[in-house]
Parts: sequence; structure tokens; C-alpha cells
Amino acid sequence: MQAAPPVRERVAFGWLRDTRLGQVWTRLPFWLRTMLLGLVAALVLPAYGDDYWTRVAVGAAGFAILGLGLNIVAGYAGLLDLGYAAFFAIGAYTAAILMVNFHWNFFLTLPVAVTVTGLAGAILGYPTLRLRSDYLAIVTLGFGEMTRVAITNCDYCGGPNGIINIPFPSVPGFTVDDLPATVAQGFFTQQDAFWVISIFLLAIALIFAYHLAHSRIGRGWVALREDEFAAEAVGVPTLRLKLLAYVMGGMWGGLAGAFFATRIYAIDPTSFTFATSVQVLILIVLGGLGSLPGVLIGAVVTVVGPELLRPVADQRILIYAIALILMMLFRPQGIWPAVRRKPKPFYGLEEDEPDKLAARILREHQEQEAREDKKHEGAGHKVAAVGEPILVVEGLSQQFGGVKAVDNVSFEVLRGEIFSIIGPNGAGKTTVFNCLTGVQRPRSGKVVFNGRSIRGLPAHQVAARGLGRTFQGIRLFRQMAVFENVMVGIYGKHRTMTWQALLHTPGERAEEQRTLQEARRWLQFVGMESASGKLATELSYADQRRVEIARALASHPRLVLLDEPAAGMNPTEKQELVTVITRIRDLGVTVVLIDHDMSLVMRVSDRIMVLDLGRVIALGKPAQIRENPRVIEGYLGRDDDEEDAIGAAGA
Amino acid sequence: MGPFLQYTINGLTVGSFYALVALGYTIVYGIIRLINFAQGDLTVVGMFLGWSLLTQFGIRLLPLPVALFLAFLIPMLGTAVTNVVILQLAYKPLLKRSLLAILITALGASLVLQNVVRLIFGPQIQAYPDIVPLNGFGIGPAHVSYLQVVLFAASILLMLALYLFTQGTPVGTAMRALAVDHDAARLMGINVDRVIQIAFVVGGLLAAASGVMLGIYYIQIQFNNGFLLGLRAFTAAVLGGIGNIPGAMAGGMIIGLLESYTAGYISSKWQDVVVFGVLILVLVIRPMGLFGERVAERM
Ligand SMILES: Nc1ncnc2c1ncn2[C@@H]1O[C@H](COP(=O)(O)OP(=O)(O)OP(=O)(O)O)[C@@H](O)[C@H]1O
Ligand SMILES: [Mg+2]
Repeated sequence: MQAAPPVRERVAFGWLRDTRLGQVWTRLPFWLRTMLLGLVAALVLPAYGDDYWTRVAVGAAGFAILGLGLNIVAGYAGLLDLGYAAFFAIGAYTAAILMVNFHWNFFLTLPVAVTVTGLAGAILGYPTLRLRSDYLAIVTLGFGEMTRVAITNCDYCGGPNGIINIPFPSVPGFTVDDLPATVAQGFFTQQDAFWVISIFLLAIALIFAYHLAHSRIGRGWVALREDEFAAEAVGVPTLRLKLLAYVMGGMWGGLAGAFFATRIYAIDPTSFTFATSVQVLILIVLGGLGSLPGVLIGAVVTVVGPELLRPVADQRILIYAIALILMMLFRPQGIWPAVRRKPKPFYGLEEDEPDKLAARILREHQEQEAREDKKHEGAGHKVAAVGEPILVVEGLSQQFGGVKAVDNVSFEVLRGEIFSIIGPNGAGKTTVFNCLTGVQRPRSGKVVFNGRSIRGLPAHQVAARGLGRTFQGIRLFRQMAVFENVMVGIYGKHRTMTWQALLHTPGERAEEQRTLQEARRWLQFVGMESASGKLATELSYADQRRVEIARALASHPRLVLLDEPAAGMNPTEKQELVTVITRIRDLGVTVVLIDHDMSLVMRVSDRIMVLDLGRVIALGKPAQIRENPRVIEGYLGRDDDEEDAIGAAGA
Repeated sequence: MGPFLQYTINGLTVGSFYALVALGYTIVYGIIRLINFAQGDLTVVGMFLGWSLLTQFGIRLLPLPVALFLAFLIPMLGTAVTNVVILQLAYKPLLKRSLLAILITALGASLVLQNVVRLIFGPQIQAYPDIVPLNGFGIGPAHVSYLQVVLFAASILLMLALYLFTQGTPVGTAMRALAVDHDAARLMGINVDRVIQIAFVVGGLLAAASGVMLGIYYIQIQFNNGFLLGLRAFTAAVLGGIGNIPGAMAGGMIIGLLESYTAGYISSKWQDVVVFGVLILVLVIRPMGLFGERVAERM
């Protein structure tokens, strides 16, 4: 699948931002800005609007809340959900039953409805976690249909007739009906009250969605959407994050549903069909997937558009559908696409002096290592000292169909060394990496890292144990900025909780700042700071490889596995790469390197292992490998010319 | 035992229709990874084309076999052309871009087809003429109509033809190559655009074939039948492992049987719940569907 082309940076209303008032405004926290705008909206519409359009606006606000929820699931986490109306339904019925049968106050039903739909999200999410995205589409669709059928056939929910007489929201001691008749009729009607409530709920939904999007969780979701395997391999617990996306998406749907129930006075199953799910999906794609302003615009367009088409009631859906197709053809990225690049990502952070940077990273790395070692020892595991084996592989085998990709491979990597794996194409080198990092489960064999077995652990846990990696075919998160890519690499080190991210607490903000600072340092370390704000796809091949190295290092691993980092690089770039690799070693990080460039491998490696057809054919110091007859015959001899050419150019 | 046999026979008949529609989903999905939501509505287009031929154009005056032949052939050509037009106008420009955008476009196309049918043939329920005699024979206590036998046999033949087409002809081989890797297929000199078009032609042919069969079998048809039909067929395709042709056939039969047994032993109200419940259960145990192969991710 090919990603959409990079989106140009857009500064909306840039001139407004530069005025005095604009500057004050941009410095206010997001929640305050949203609440202020909400207040204005809540006041303006009742003063000017007529009842019909207020009703439409209330509908749009409700749909916007739904859109915000689906945007979390489909926009951020990239999980196609075609049955989102199920959450809408569950929220609406929960609130309606509580209000009608148990006479609860509307505002008290909200937390219950939201909790119930959050649970429903977990129930839907759990069995679908391991499904590929297209399968997800049908399962979610099925979930939506099952929910609708269950409601239709459930007598307690009123069956096909649904629930009626759902009361108007009341605040103890005040209802709109209490207002003097003249006021109520002329100025502040029931619809106006709904508008105020809907704006308030929408503001809350928007603020929380914004907070999530700008936290490590939002970053993890986008990484998961862009490349699930890579995200998992650099330390993002993808299954847990998917589940969280379903739960959060469900909660937003519950909020919208509860409000819908009280607003519409009577609910029945026909409001929660596949068409509803599709409308919400269309809303967020039309607005711009993953973009919060896009959701608001999409809600207005999809709700107001059909209203405007009322005069042609009969052909309404046809016109709507054609407009939709045209829109997708001419603007598939949506009306207000999400932007992930940033002109100045580190704006306002303290500068690191280039010459002190290395020392600083080194110090931090050593401090962190010492801390972890102590904990590790405290837990009764053996810590490998420098020169002792940090990674022990015994009898590793992997098979694909009839191909023995890795056949009984054993080796040890010593702490602090640069260990290279070479061999002809298809020798099984990458497969060894995949088996070590938990991306694949090996057929058999032992893998012990830093005194503990890591075989069979999920990849993100292997990463958390201190094993970083890069990929042979570059796997950066394409539609993410470079600095964000590196920040994703730090995911496993975060300590703040989900509620802190939702509320955007000072602790969470401080941690985000530290993460940003750290990402910047690693980008400096590989010489890529100047490209931080670009999208990953905008970089050259060599630069992308360097960013991948920064991402692998960002979590301060004990050992990094570099898979053909020099592929596609010119001699100058290779020279720089050699410097980076030796600097990684100087930090005290063990390096395992795969590459086809013999001169580079010979130059940097302490020891080399040669694989052929999945078997180890030689293991030793570079000088021994160069002289080994089996290696010369089986591998080195073959591409003599190429090697000489590279050797000459690189020297 | 009596009703069980009857339910099985009915289920297999309906299942064979589902299987045909499911094949349309699977063929297109296998090649461009698109859930072609328009497939169900395309079936309805074929259904109505057949209906108008039989009721309004007087081909019934022809001998029965000729009438039937035309009533299948013309709608099949019609939906094949429609499907290719949709491909060229709506999907083609988006193929290299976002998959979600094409999905939305497919939903749009589905709505367009549905509403065009409504516009032309009206929103009311129409009835197929009962051109094929309903009598049949008994197997023990169960009744099998000749119609059921003929329709079942016809759909099995179509499936067999399709299977041989993908396995035995160069175009079929190209389709399977495309399912694995577009770029590699292009490098091997396969005309990718042409193969995609052929897949849509096949999808269209299948749509009308199943549409007319459904019309003859169920008699009553309406412009919005496509949704439920598409949903069942798509479920069948996924159940069998989407992209896999024998899988789609088996999936269709299983869904048909499940539906028939649920209606017989529980209540037709719960059909959807049972069908989807089974689907989810299967996917939890076998995430790639019953016949789908697990492809390991290459890094
Ligand atoms: N996911 C997979 N499914 C099936 N076969 C695989 C898979 N991954 C690797 N193989 C096969 O396993 C063998 C080893 O592949 P691997 O990618 O480990 O080789 P490599 O040494 O990294 O080669 P290269 O130098 O080309 O990167 C090859 O024959 C390859 O075709
Ligand atoms: Mg490799």
C-alpha cells in the first residue's frame, strides 16, 4: 500500500496569529481556548439562529463527538471500524434506560454510559487484536449488526419500537420549562438548551481527544497505523494500544449516544444501522483522517449538506453519493488534512552545545545503565560485564515451508564489541535478527540476553530489555516527522499513565519535554538535527537509515542490531556511518551488524560470523575470516570485483 | 431428521448464491485489496435487468431455454460493463493512493447504484414471473424442487469454470501473480491494468448471474436488497479466507447453512447474530479465515 503524498505545511490564519491578541491567544492552553470558543458559540447561536437551524447544529455537534471517537480508532490507530454505530447505540440505550426506568438525571447517566461503552470497546477489541485490517472491517461490521439485532430483539429495550419519553436534561432546581413562557418561546428555547449542552460536551470530547493525540499514546497510535511491525519492534506495545484505541473510541461513542437519547426524546434501532456507521466514517475521511479540525468540518458538511439538499428530497442520497465520490477523487486527503511536519520542533527547548553533547549522552547513558544493572542484579539475574557474553544464542533454527532459513546457529556476542554477520543473499542473516527480536518465533533454540531468556517474548518486550534494531528495508513511520519517529523509540521508557495523558498533567508535560529533548540529542548524535521537522519520506535513503539508527538508540539499548545500514550509501556517507558505529560502541552499546560491504565490515568489526544457507561456516577475527578458505570459496571469492571497487573508493 | 434434511437443502441453495457473490468480492479483493462494497448492489442491478427483460420485453414468448439464456446473458454483460465503468471512473485514479479513500468511494458507488435502481425501477417490491415450474421430487421427507437442483448445479458449474480459469489460463495465472506482488508482476511483463479490468469483468458477470438466480428463486425483489446480500456474501468471503476462491465457495455454503438452520431451529430474527458470532469465533481461532494462508511478514 502506498501512502498519500506528503501534505504541504499549512499555517491557517497566519496573519491573525501575529497580532498582539493572536499572540496572547496562542499562549493559552488548548482547553481554555476551546472552552472560550465554545462559550462564544453557545451564546451566539441562540441569539441569532432560528429553531430549525439550531436543531441542525445540535445534530452536527452530536455527530462531531461521534467523529472524534471514530477518529481515534480509524484516524490515529488506523483500525478500520465499520460498526461504530454500535457504541452510539449502547450509549444511547444505557442512558435512556437509566433515565426512563430508573429516573436518573441525564448528567449522572453520562459517566455510566461512557463506562459501559468503554467496556463494549474492550469486548469488541479483544478478539480482533490480531486480525489484519481488512478482516477487522467485517468483524466490526458484524459487531455493529449484532448489536442492532440484539437491541431489536430485546424486550427490555423496547424491541423494534425502542424507548420513548426520554426526559429532557435537568439541573436540580431548574428546567427550561420553568422559564417564563415569554422568554422560553421567544429567546431561549429547548433547542437552545440542547445547543449549549452539546457544545459543552463537544468541547470536553475535543479537549480529551486533543490531549490524547499530543501524548505518547497518540504518537504510539500513529506509529501503529503507519507500520505495526516496526512499531512493535521499537518498543510500542501494539496490542495494548489497539485495545486502548477501541476503549477510547467506544467512550466517545457512548457520550454521543447518551446525548442523542435525551435530545431525540425517543430512540429505536433504526437510528443505529450500518448507514450511521458509514456516515461517521465518511465524516472523518471527508474532513481529513486524523485531523481534529477536519472532524469538526466534516461533521458540519455531512450534517448540513443533506439539509441543504432537502428541496430535492428524492434524489438526495444519489447527489450526496456522487458528491462523495468526486470529493474522494479530487481531494482524497480530506478538506483539512492532518499535518505532522513541524517547522521548528524544538522551539523553546534549551540548546545543547555540540561539543558537550557527546559527553552528556555518554553520562546519561552510563547513569541509566548503572541503574538498570543494579535493578537487574537485585532481581537475581546475572549482569554481563564488558568482555563477557551479553547475548548467547544456542541451536537457533527457523524454517519457512521447506526452506531452512536458519539451521542450528550458535554464537555469543560479547558486551562492548562490534560483531558482524555476513553471508550471501538469502543466507538467513535477517531471519536471525527477526528471531532474536521476537518479530518471529524461532522453531527451536535458546536466546539469552543479559542473563535472561528472551525467546518467545513479544517484540516490544524484547526492545524494553535493551535490544534495539534497524530494518533492512527502511521502516520509518512514513507520515510522521523525523523527530516523532525518534520519540516513538522512547515509548517503552515512558512512565506516565493514560489518565495523565488525558488530562495533560504537568508531570506528563514534563515527560514529553524530556522525550523531545532526548530525541533531539539522538538526532544530533547521528547528524540529523537539521531535518527533524521533515516527514520521514522526504529524506534521502542514507538519511533515513541514520534516523532509523537514532530511533533504535533512543531508548538507550544495551545492544543494537543494524541490518545493512550501509546499503544504498555512497562512499562519503559510508565513512560517516563508520564514525557513527564506532561512536555507538564508545557509548558502551554492543553492536551487531549485518552488511554486504566487506571493506566496511572488515574495518569496524571485532569479530565476524559467516552464514551460508542458514549455517555458520566461520566465526572469528576479521583477519581469520579473510584467510578462511571456506569463506573465500563460498562467499568472498564470488563478488571480488564489487568488493575491490568499494574498498578502493572507501579508502 | 426430516426438517434437518430440508434445511440443509434450502441452505445449500441459498449458500450457492452467496458463494457466487462472494467470489466477486474475493476476486477483486485478491487483486487490489479493495472491499468492493458495490458488489451487492451490482447483483441487484443484474437482478432488475433480468426482471425487466422477462416482464417488459417479452422474451418470455421465446422458447424457455432461449428466454432463460438471454435473461442471464444480457444482465451479465450489463453488470460487467457497469463494473468496469465504476473501476475506470471511480477506483482507478485512487489505486495508487489511500486505500481508505477507495473504500469510501466504493461505499459511494454502492449508494449510487442503489439509488439509480430505485430511480429507474421504483422503490416498490417487484415480482419475477414464475417461469420455471416449481414441482420437484422428494428425498425421504424433504422436498427438492427442480429449480433448486438447476440453480445449484448452475452455480457449481460457474464456480468450477472460474476455478479452472484462475488455475489454468495465462490470465488466471497473472491474476494470482498480482495477488502476491503488483510490482513484481509488472516487472514480469504482466499488463496490470488489463488484469484488474478482467477481474472486474468477472466480478460483474458473477453479480448478474447470481442476481437473476436469486430473483427466480425468491420471486420478490427490491432496490435495497443489495446491502444484506453483500453483507452475507462478504462475510462468506472472509470466513473462507478472502482472496481464496475455494474459500469463498465454502464460506458461501457455510453461511447459507447457518442461516437456514438458525431460521429453522431458533428464529430468523437471530440469523445475523449467529452468522457473525460464528465468523468472529472462526477468526479468533484462525485469523486468516478457514482456507486463507498465513503469510509471514518479511522484514
Ligand atoms: N517470511 C518469510 N517467509 C518465507 N520465506 C522467508 C521469509 N523470510 C525469509 N525467508 C527465506 O529465508 C531465507 C533467508 O532469508 P533472509 O532474509 O534471512 O536472508 P538474508 O541473509 O538476510 O539475505 P539478504 O542478504 O538478501 O538480506 C531466504 O531463502 C528467504 O527467501
Ligand atoms: Mg537480509
